Amino acid sequence: MGVNEKFSAIRKGLLEFLVLQIISAEKVYVADILKQLSATEFATQEGTLYPLLSRMRREGLLDYEWKESEAGPPRKYYQLTSKGREQLHETLEYWSQINGTVKKLGQK
Amino acid sequence: MNKVITINLGGTAWQLEEGGYDALRVYLETAAARLARNPDRDEILSDIERAIAEKFRAVLSGYKTVVETREVETALKQMGPIETETNGPDNAGAESTASGQKSTAGQPGAATGPGPRRLYRIHEGAMLAGVCNGIAAYMGVDPTLVRLAFVLLTVFWGTGVLVYVIMALVIPEAVSPEEKAAASGTPFTAQEFIRRAKEGYYDAMKGFPDRNARRMWKRQFKREMRAHAAQWRWNWHSYWARRVAVHPGMSYYLPVLSLLLGIATILWVCALVSLFATGTLLGFVLPTDVPVWVAAIILLIAYGITVGPLKVARRICYWGIGESKGASSLAVLLDMIIRIAVVVLLILLAVCYLPDIHHAIQTFPEQAHQAADSISAWWNRK
Repeated sequence: MGVNEKFSAIRKGLLEFLVLQIISAEKVYVADILKQLSATEFATQEGTLYPLLSRMRREGLLDYEWKESEAGPPRKYYQLTSKGREQLHETLEYWSQINGTVKKLGQK
Repeated sequence: MNKVITINLGGTAWQLEEGGYDALRVYLETAAARLARNPDRDEILSDIERAIAEKFRAVLSGYKTVVETREVETALKQMGPIETETNGPDNAGAESTASGQKSTAGQPGAATGPGPRRLYRIHEGAMLAGVCNGIAAYMGVDPTLVRLAFVLLTVFWGTGVLVYVIMALVIPEAVSPEEKAAASGTPFTAQEFIRRAKEGYYDAMKGFPDRNARRMWKRQFKREMRAHAAQWRWNWHSYWARRVAVHPGMSYYLPVLSLLLGIATILWVCALVSLFATGTLLGFVLPTDVPVWVAAIILLIAYGITVGPLKVARRICYWGIGESKGASSLAVLLDMIIRIAVVVLLILLAVCYLPDIHHAIQTFPEQAHQAADSISAWWNRK
């Protein structure tokens, strides 16, 4: 088992965090999120993203509005709620804490 | 030249080549099945449909108005399998190995080769609880054959119903896609479904495109079967009622016969359980060259032979009651008490020897498989 596979569970868990991060910058629709992720280790597909977004919306982390697109039907644009922002803030803090731990351990 | 099918996706009409339509339908059906317990199911499905529609829109232009099969497959590949945290991951591609093993309880090679086979009840296309369907998938035969076997078992020995009820209670139903895959031993992926769709695996479903027609057909079929059964019973009863001379005291044999029947049934069930659980017949060790399944079939036939005449005699007595007025109600009551006692005794035995029974049922699929293997080997030799 390579490093890539070992970390697949961690990547999966982190996806929610990254989606929060991406949405926090601006209102986006799914294709934007996929595009931003596609260049990273977290490249994913609609089949994964839609269930995740629906769950996050149900948990009150984000919300969406319909917007007309230049070609074709309206699209869902997602944005963070205040609860989502709060969670992002907490996660960022926790993340830097973990980072610190990873760097500190094993050093003398 | 290919046939074109028009569909409605996300509120717009699309024209797809037939192969593409099949692939899309399979994808959406799979998605719906995977999201069956997801509270956001409808929303996710409409999101998915809209996303696929968007991909179709990108490949069409003023002159090109039909989405080709290849393009549908590309779009579905881009969508990826529906994956939620609850139903276990099933990624296409490089990340699947670790997750595949998790979903199949650590069986090596499960993610790539044909998956492990397990006996499940399969609800799709089932007539009752999906027991026959599951057995058919497990043994790789047509479900109708298995149903026929159960019907024969019921008609000739009356045990089919009992076996069916026990199996319906004991065998788990295949709910998750992984379980459904394990029920027929094939790996579950979206690609696999597309491959099957291409091979015409789902062609039979085309005859029933709409759910209501299917349900109507099923209802009709059941009604006809019930009518047949009633007719058959009536013929049988009137046949015996006419030919047999009835003595007034005959009804008193009823409880005696029921007692004998009950004893035979209990013995038979115990023997069958001990056969599957320990490989011995109530303590007697089988000769080494007799496989367990052969012993089971012999047991079944032996049971049929002992019980058949008893049942016929019982039936005759029962019809004798109609002629002799009075005095018979006591016999009927006694008979009923004995029958209930037999059932209660069976249940008590089942509870006492639960681990043994559990073991017997667990080894049953293995035995059935061995039987199927040796029969096909014998057939090939001929």
